[in-house]
Amino acid sequence: MDISALIDSLHPLEIKVLMTLGAHPSGTALESERLAEAGELEPSQLSMAIEWLLAKSLIAVQTETVTPMVSLTKIGEEYCQTASPIERVLEAARDATGTGKRLTIPDLQSQDGLDPSDVSKAVGRLKKEGAVLIIQGGCIETTGRPSPTAEAIRTLLGQLQESSKELMAFTDAHRQVIEDYAVKRGNAKEPFRIDERVARSFVLSQDGADAAAQLMKQGVAEEVSQLSPDLLKDGSWRQKRFRKYTISLRPPRIGTGKKHPYREFLDTVKTKLVSMGFQEMRGALVETEFWGMDALFMPQFHPARDIHDVYFVKEPSHTTAVDEPFLSRVASVHENGMETGSTGWGYSFDIHRAKRLVLRSQGTAVSARTLAASPHVPGKYFSIARCFRYDQVDATHATDFFQVEGIVLGEDINFRTLLGLLNLFAREVAQAKEVKFLPAYFPFTEPSVELHVRHPRLGWMELGGAGLFRPEVTLPLGVTVPVIAWGLGLDRMAMVALGIHDIRELFTDNLELIRTTRGQL
Amino acid sequence: MPTITVFKDDLESLISREGGAGRGLSIAQIEEWLMLVKGELKGHHPETDELRIELQDSNRPDLWCCEGIARQIRIKQQGRLTPYPFFTEKSKPSYQLIVKPGMQQVRPYVAACTAKGYRVTEKGLAQLIQTQEKLADIFGRKRKTVSIGIYQLQNITFPVTYELVKPDDVRFTPLGMETTMTLSEILMVHPKGLEYGPILAVKSLLPILRDAKDQPLSFPPIINSREIGEVRVGDDELFVEVTGTDLRMVILSLNIFAANLADRGATIEPITVQYPTSTILGKRVTTPQDLGKPKTVKIHAIEQALGQELGETVVQQALETYGYDVTAGKGSVKAKLPPYRHDVMHTMDIVEDVAMSRGYAEFTPVMPAQFTVGGLSVIEQMSDRSRELMVGLGFQEIISNILGSPDHYSGFMRLQGTEWGRTVDVDNVMSLSFSCLRQWLLPSLLRVEAASSRAFYPHRLFEAGDVAIFDGTHESGSRTETVLGAMIAHATTHFSEIHSCLDVLFYYLGKEYSLEPVQHPSFLDGRAGRILVSGQSVGVIGEVHPEVLERWQIAMPIVAFDVNLSQLIRLG
Repeated sequence: MDISALIDSLHPLEIKVLMTLGAHPSGTALESERLAEAGELEPSQLSMAIEWLLAKSLIAVQTETVTPMVSLTKIGEEYCQTASPIERVLEAARDATGTGKRLTIPDLQSQDGLDPSDVSKAVGRLKKEGAVLIIQGGCIETTGRPSPTAEAIRTLLGQLQESSKELMAFTDAHRQVIEDYAVKRGNAKEPFRIDERVARSFVLSQDGADAAAQLMKQGVAEEVSQLSPDLLKDGSWRQKRFRKYTISLRPPRIGTGKKHPYREFLDTVKTKLVSMGFQEMRGALVETEFWGMDALFMPQFHPARDIHDVYFVKEPSHTTAVDEPFLSRVASVHENGMETGSTGWGYSFDIHRAKRLVLRSQGTAVSARTLAASPHVPGKYFSIARCFRYDQVDATHATDFFQVEGIVLGEDINFRTLLGLLNLFAREVAQAKEVKFLPAYFPFTEPSVELHVRHPRLGWMELGGAGLFRPEVTLPLGVTVPVIAWGLGLDRMAMVALGIHDIRELFTDNLELIRTTRGQL
Repeated sequence: MPTITVFKDDLESLISREGGAGRGLSIAQIEEWLMLVKGELKGHHPETDELRIELQDSNRPDLWCCEGIARQIRIKQQGRLTPYPFFTEKSKPSYQLIVKPGMQQVRPYVAACTAKGYRVTEKGLAQLIQTQEKLADIFGRKRKTVSIGIYQLQNITFPVTYELVKPDDVRFTPLGMETTMTLSEILMVHPKGLEYGPILAVKSLLPILRDAKDQPLSFPPIINSREIGEVRVGDDELFVEVTGTDLRMVILSLNIFAANLADRGATIEPITVQYPTSTILGKRVTTPQDLGKPKTVKIHAIEQALGQELGETVVQQALETYGYDVTAGKGSVKAKLPPYRHDVMHTMDIVEDVAMSRGYAEFTPVMPAQFTVGGLSVIEQMSDRSRELMVGLGFQEIISNILGSPDHYSGFMRLQGTEWGRTVDVDNVMSLSFSCLRQWLLPSLLRVEAASSRAFYPHRLFEAGDVAIFDGTHESGSRTETVLGAMIAHATTHFSEIHSCLDVLFYYLGKEYSLEPVQHPSFLDGRAGRILVSGQSVGVIGEVHPEVLERWQIAMPIVAFDVNLSQLIRLG
């Protein structure tokens, strides 16, 4: 070991301990107390220095002894000033016997500062020792014999008042009394406490001895721990020695400014979509059934529009108006297909129902509004919309979740370009090279496709659903070119990327978890 | 989206009818075939050989059964559907069902047929019951528009009548009971009466099906008679009826049932239903009946939608192998759905069938070639910029539910009954914890703080997200706004610490602002301010009121701000 490099890295406290040990003949073991005394160190400083030196193997533990020590508790200190229960009981009994008054246990228990359990314990002990008698009527009388316990307690309280003492230094009889009147689990109200004092003694290791010898020889230069503006200003840093740090230790933790890992994941998706030429759309959390469902050609009797599937708004329950001509056109496409070439659903459309306000249940509502607002042709749009589902919350169902979806409009849109777009998503969003297209069903698209991809880490998974909007959706909203509607199911990917298994953890309230989660995107 | 249970060997033997190749299919092969019916295999029990299949298409009730799935696969294997004779036979049915006047107001329509020569097996019975339930429950909207009854034919004397009776005039032993009950007793006591009774709006006259000897068959849509309407394993002559509110749906349901029984080997005999007044199909309606009309579709329209040239022959073949009856013309085809389907509303529905019949794998993906410019909305750009700045200021981003509880959003914040505490509430509350939308962001931040007292301090948290602000002047009663909330929690935090952060944020957002003292119940009086830009309020800042902290059980001082980014944009 390079002794001088080692010495340079020593803390002043470590140097003090090494030099104290080095001042004694080789191989001398010193106890902590002696070390503290000789090195003029506070106990806390000493214990820090010892831990560091042990970690560097410059000193070693020679002996470790465990000594039971007796000291007074807070109650013991009070008894010093006043009297212990046994003394008070004996005193009271002597008074009573002397004056001929009747003294019963309840009398004693009613005295200030004596609680029932103290009284019973004291009376029991005194009776056992023959110092008192319980006569007829439960009265207590003294016998005139002394109580060794009461006397021992008084002596011990005096002896321990100043400082603690080793248990083994007491006579057998006193040790017995100490143990009987020491705090234990379930009985904290006692005057004595027995603690185990661990005393260790330390010797220098070979490296430690070398370092100590070197230190004695060279003397200790003035050392500074930190460069300061003053040292720089007057150039006095030149005369100083800078202690070398042990840089392998772990640093303290700090909090940092950081994006939420799930938002970061969604940001990545957002960036990818923008880079593919998609324009972002925004919508409202509160939506009408008209834009959320009617405009998407979901008939008003559709099971997914049931009271058990959608959150309805309490007040106001209905919107004041739905924009025309969309309302009339959508109503007529539901009833008879309008002029879309469709038969329609053939039922009587309820305009009041269309005005019902709901919490947005699918991101497609945003797409429907975009279609009605003269979108660009060709055009690509996306939204990352918070949606609400009427579901019991569990590890795989959240009431509140993000839907990533959008539309693509253009003259060249058809089934094959739909598949081409899905291929692009598979590659860009899931880094997947293998894809499968499965027939699917959505109320507002025809044909409809489910996109399954082989994710590099997750294997085969469903990435999303898509289709060509039915003409019953696009024509009433004034769009005459074909439109792709697509949606991506990204929560599973996000959960894997974030290493979580419960969908509720995406929105966790556990700050420690948020701080320590790293996305691997 | 119904999920059904079928037996693998039953499915295989139905596929193998008339020479189809359906025996000994592997699970992977079954999954492959299920693409043809938009089916997804959800489970397979090797011991019982049961398959659980989810059918996606809610417009194809004919596929919600073992027979229907097998049929679609069989047609593909054989190249075309072998027509069912009972849809085309012209001979006069031997049985009659008479509808008495007055049904129009209650449950107007009925369709029925008989099925002879198929001896009901245990698995076959399970499938019959499952199909009956799925059709009535999902296609029939919980029996409201369609319900189905199956009976032992030999116990019935024709003609059967469908009529209205007084609730206490007729009694019979319903399925699931030991003794006879009147119709009103059934409505009040029988589990099915309680469940489906509300469908019958008028309770003074109730529908009943009775035979010529006045024996009740059933009380539609509630329950069958136990004597006649309980089909058992071994029965080989059945009577099937469907009642409902829409004649086409009623007939379609019967068509599906008839085709299913025919696939299992039964001979179907149609029944004539005699109505008192004319229906859309006349006064005498023979059921089952093929209601399909051929639709002429231009080949060009199909090719354009699919993005591929196919030609008449390919289209004709694709549709025939999917069950259509097709006549090819010049540049078009005349396509008619099989009688058990009624789901083509638009040419696009036929387009999808062409694609499915050929298989999606037959279509090579093509990248859309159009050039478009991508970009983010103004509010998203503002939100992203603010988030970057907050991260730079050392804040950890969090993300929260928007749907929450009024306690958290208002009550704990001391805002109950104030304008600030007004939320958009849910009408059909399932759980109070998810019963209103947040109107500001501070509660979302406090939610994390309350749960994270053991995470080392300081805590500097922010969230940028949507809230719903109640607004009576808005057409939907609320505005969705994007809001930025931030808070600092540690033992010695104070107003100026968060004020510094706000100051930096607004500097880099390029917004001049000032603070004006405000009495806001969530903050300590004298240590709270309204954030003003161009004289308009865009948010609040302050030291959170200790009572708010107590209610959240937070034992650390908190300073915070809440800035409406949408409002900032509106102010330019």
